[in-house]
Amino acid sequence: MSEPAAALHGVAQRFGRKVVLRDVDLELAPGTIVGLIGANGAGKTTLFAILAGLLQPDAGERRLFGRAADEVDADARARLAYVAHQTQLYGGLSARENLALFADLRRAAGLTTRPADEVLLQLGLPAEALARPVSTFSRGMAQRVALARALAASPELLLLDEPFTALDAGGRAQLASVLEGERRRGAAVLLSSHDLDALVELCDRIVLLERGVLDRSAAHDGDRAAFRRRAAALWQGRPQDPPRDPLHPLLHPQDPAAPGPAA
Amino acid sequence: MNDPTSIRPPRPFRLRAVLPDLCLLAAMPLLVYSVHRVFIDTPNEQTMGTAFKIFFFHVPMGWLCMLMALVAGVAAGVQLRRRSRLAGCVALAAAEVGFVTGLGVLLTGPIWGRATWGTPWTGDARQVTTALLWLVIVAYLLLRHYGPRTSDRLAAALAIFGAVNVPIIYYAVKLWKTLHPSTGVVGSLPPEMWATFWPGLGALILCSLGLFGLRVRQLVIAEELDAAWVQLDERSQST
Amino acid sequence: MRLLRQAALLLRSELRQELRDFELVLTAGFFTVVLLAMFYLSFASLQQRAHLGAIPGLMWLTIAFVGVLTLTRVFDREREADTLRALLAAPVDRLAIYVAKAAMTLAVLMICCAVLVPGLWLIFPAGAAFAAAPGSTALLALLGCAGYVAIGTLFAAGLATGAGKNTLLFVILYPLTTPVLMYALVTTRALLDGDPALPSYLGQMAALDVILFAAACLLFETVLVGAAGPRRSSSSARRARPSGQVPRDMSREPAP
Repeated sequence: MSEPAAALHGVAQRFGRKVVLRDVDLELAPGTIVGLIGANGAGKTTLFAILAGLLQPDAGERRLFGRAADEVDADARARLAYVAHQTQLYGGLSARENLALFADLRRAAGLTTRPADEVLLQLGLPAEALARPVSTFSRGMAQRVALARALAASPELLLLDEPFTALDAGGRAQLASVLEGERRRGAAVLLSSHDLDALVELCDRIVLLERGVLDRSAAHDGDRAAFRRRAAALWQGRPQDPPRDPLHPLLHPQDPAAPGPAA
Repeated sequence: MNDPTSIRPPRPFRLRAVLPDLCLLAAMPLLVYSVHRVFIDTPNEQTMGTAFKIFFFHVPMGWLCMLMALVAGVAAGVQLRRRSRLAGCVALAAAEVGFVTGLGVLLTGPIWGRATWGTPWTGDARQVTTALLWLVIVAYLLLRHYGPRTSDRLAAALAIFGAVNVPIIYYAVKLWKTLHPSTGVVGSLPPEMWATFWPGLGALILCSLGLFGLRVRQLVIAEELDAAWVQLDERSQST
Repeated sequence: MRLLRQAALLLRSELRQELRDFELVLTAGFFTVVLLAMFYLSFASLQQRAHLGAIPGLMWLTIAFVGVLTLTRVFDREREADTLRALLAAPVDRLAIYVAKAAMTLAVLMICCAVLVPGLWLIFPAGAAFAAAPGSTALLALLGCAGYVAIGTLFAAGLATGAGKNTLLFVILYPLTTPVLMYALVTTRALLDGDPALPSYLGQMAALDVILFAAACLLFETVLVGAAGPRRSSSSARRARPSGQVPRDMSREPAP
């Protein structure tokens, strides 16, 4: 069995008293698509940032491409691509120029990259738009440019934070088709979304991140309907009550089990 | 399993836990003795008169300010390199003590200057760079308290650059013309004034170290409280 | 070589964006002109002797103000679209980001100096020494601005990555850069006075710039992303954990 493209073991992250991630274990195998679901503020973006090397975890181990990654060096970053929730594009440059910049930066590091136009057209961006400044684009068009930038690198690990946001139905279908192609190519894909149906159609496994804890998942075992039911149960089974006040048992020893006010 | 509501057994006695308190206790009589020596036992200096007595407080506070800036810079470097929360606490505490001692220098210096040179602020190199060091310390404290979540690293870099400022203060005397006495001011003291200088220096060092130790202890306890809160939170979410 | 190539590519991108609307150069240049006008209104009536003492301070005060404005705008582009994080996640040498941003800021400041120095000479005739020694003046401007940029780029980048508040840049930069600017101020005074020690001052400024750049380069990646390895908590915080629940710091455990 090949090494996972990315693996997190016991990863934790907190800022003061705010715990963002608790003891997270996650493996992303090559040729699989893993969906990440969670409420707003569950820690998804922090998880992506740790995998992309933008944040050092407070505890735990991060492994990328079979090696421990105390820091994500340029070699590891060459093999992964991260599309954040924001499009992260230079508004003053055109779509073609944005992609050309990152392609040139890769070539300066001795790396190859797919032609920008090919990837942009694959994602359904009209040819006449390629020369316009990104600042004139709709959010959906800018999202496609950001995705194209990631895909042009032919990454082994693709991290997509809510890629379906602002895409119309056609765009979603095109993206899904592209991600299928990435899976066949052997890339490991982690994508987050609030669209459970889209994830069920696309993913091999869906994991739930809730209040920093990632310990529940649903896997696609060949029966899509059953997978859909399990995924729905996963989402509906997440804790709905507000977080308990951890001081409640100390302040009310006579009734330590009663849920306190939200922390 | 440990019950957080149960009473913990007392921790074994450790000298370092009470060292800040001992420093402050020792500083109190020494400070009283120092003030007595400065104002009662030490004669006035021939040219500068009574105003010279500020020297016995001004110079130690200047040294302590620079020492604390260096400690903050080194601790900030450790904080950055080893991601150590303890080093972050040490850096913050050192900056706060540096702020107080630096304020003392900037207040006593003009008093001495006015009496000695006829003007409270001459704008010479050492005065200005000491004031700048103090401003860097203030900037560091503002960044630590009001900065965004990730500003700890940025504040550490600021402390490191601030510490680099300290040798500039020493070299400023050699590079630029200055109305400050030369660096040999301590060495040129008559013997009876040495006996007055050292108790004052000792008292202020003990006072500063005591305050520094207390503040480090406070900040470490705050970190421990955060860690304990996180554990309690974990337990309450899992039950 | 990768570092230099990538820095050149990033700088080219910066220049390309700037050449489209000249926003940075125009705002910084206009601000320089406004400051010159204010200096003229405030100090032109002083005696010529006082001009000689005022010119160095006015020059480097202008650089301090324009520098913060320039750094804020250079990194606002990154902050608005979060592009700095895209560069940090890409296979880009992180120092290349620093070098490119520093070079861009330095270029804008040098353009402002090209307006500022002749402006000061026009307003204050005592500034004729600038025209008499154009080479030394240009070198002085370059070294002074370079030292400022070395420090400012690091901290502006640090504030651009998080939810950093722009106002904090003012709080940080002025005290940190004043020693550098003071060196520049003393050297400017030496130039105006025709001091024979001017080459020595310029040499010391160059040495200081090298030190500042080196320190900033060493700190850049750590400030933006953090050092490698797990965070170390205090020993007492570790003791505060209940027994049997040692955190799973698996980076210290042998690989399975």
